[in-house]
Amino acid sequence: MRFMMLMIPLGYESAPPDVELDPERVAAMMRYNEALKDAGVLITLDGLHPPSMGARVSFAGGKPVVTDGPFAEAKEVLGGYWMIEVASREEAVAWAKQCPASDNEIIEIRQVQEMADFSDEVQKAAAGFAELPRAGRA
Amino acid sequence: MRFMVIVKATKDTEAGILPSTEEFAAMGRFNEELVKAGMMEAGEGLHPTAKGARIDFSDGQAHVARGPFDFSGDLAAGFWMIKAGSLDEVIEHMQRAPFPSGQIEIRQVYAPEDFGETVAPELRERVERLRARAAKS
Repeated sequence: MRFMMLMIPLGYESAPPDVELDPERVAAMMRYNEALKDAGVLITLDGLHPPSMGARVSFAGGKPVVTDGPFAEAKEVLGGYWMIEVASREEAVAWAKQCPASDNEIIEIRQVQEMADFSDEVQKAAAGFAELPRAGRA
Repeated sequence: MRFMVIVKATKDTEAGILPSTEEFAAMGRFNEELVKAGMMEAGEGLHPTAKGARIDFSDGQAHVARGPFDFSGDLAAGFWMIKAGSLDEVIEHMQRAPFPSGQIEIRQVYAPEDFGETVAPELRERVERLRARAAKS
């Protein structure tokens, strides 16, 4: 099963575009990342620039409306994520608990949908979807 | 430049209501466009927060809470990883996503060169090595 561990650093929703990282915290996080990798559970990971450098597109009524960041109404935003492959949610939770996170951080664990989760009809409609990203990378 | 496009949860996605076959097919066509444009690295949907968990690190301890979580409008339901030359390019493409309603958020992904002096060169190298090894597995 694949799970996404979503890092939600509270306060990041209003961080300036040129946010500074603490090298010691980065080094601790790298040791954690390497432990995930050495255990064979890490698929990929990324960090995200603050929302002040981003945008939101809303589709109310099917019409796209673009808003530049930061987003005044946001209570929490993503700071980054890990994609991991483990046998259960419990295993994912156990990994997340070992993260050297700071006091204002939350990790949310979410299972990734697989094609087998959908009906035959939907699987037919989405045929080739799983190969798309790979095709895009090639 | 790489961007993460976060699809925000709706009451339907949180209730585990899946898109219709037609909506799925429309999204498949949209994804094919992204692939043809050489922009798509990955795209995934997430199960509702009812099947998830949160770990809160307040006061230095890890506190586990089981889903579902309060519907705040900030929950995620899925994402794309996109390669593009600029934020504007991503916005331009994503406005054509076949969503009848809802919201997506576009965020730039950190690259090693973004860290400047904050992160020592040897640490940047380790990040790159780790990323390369993870991508191969």
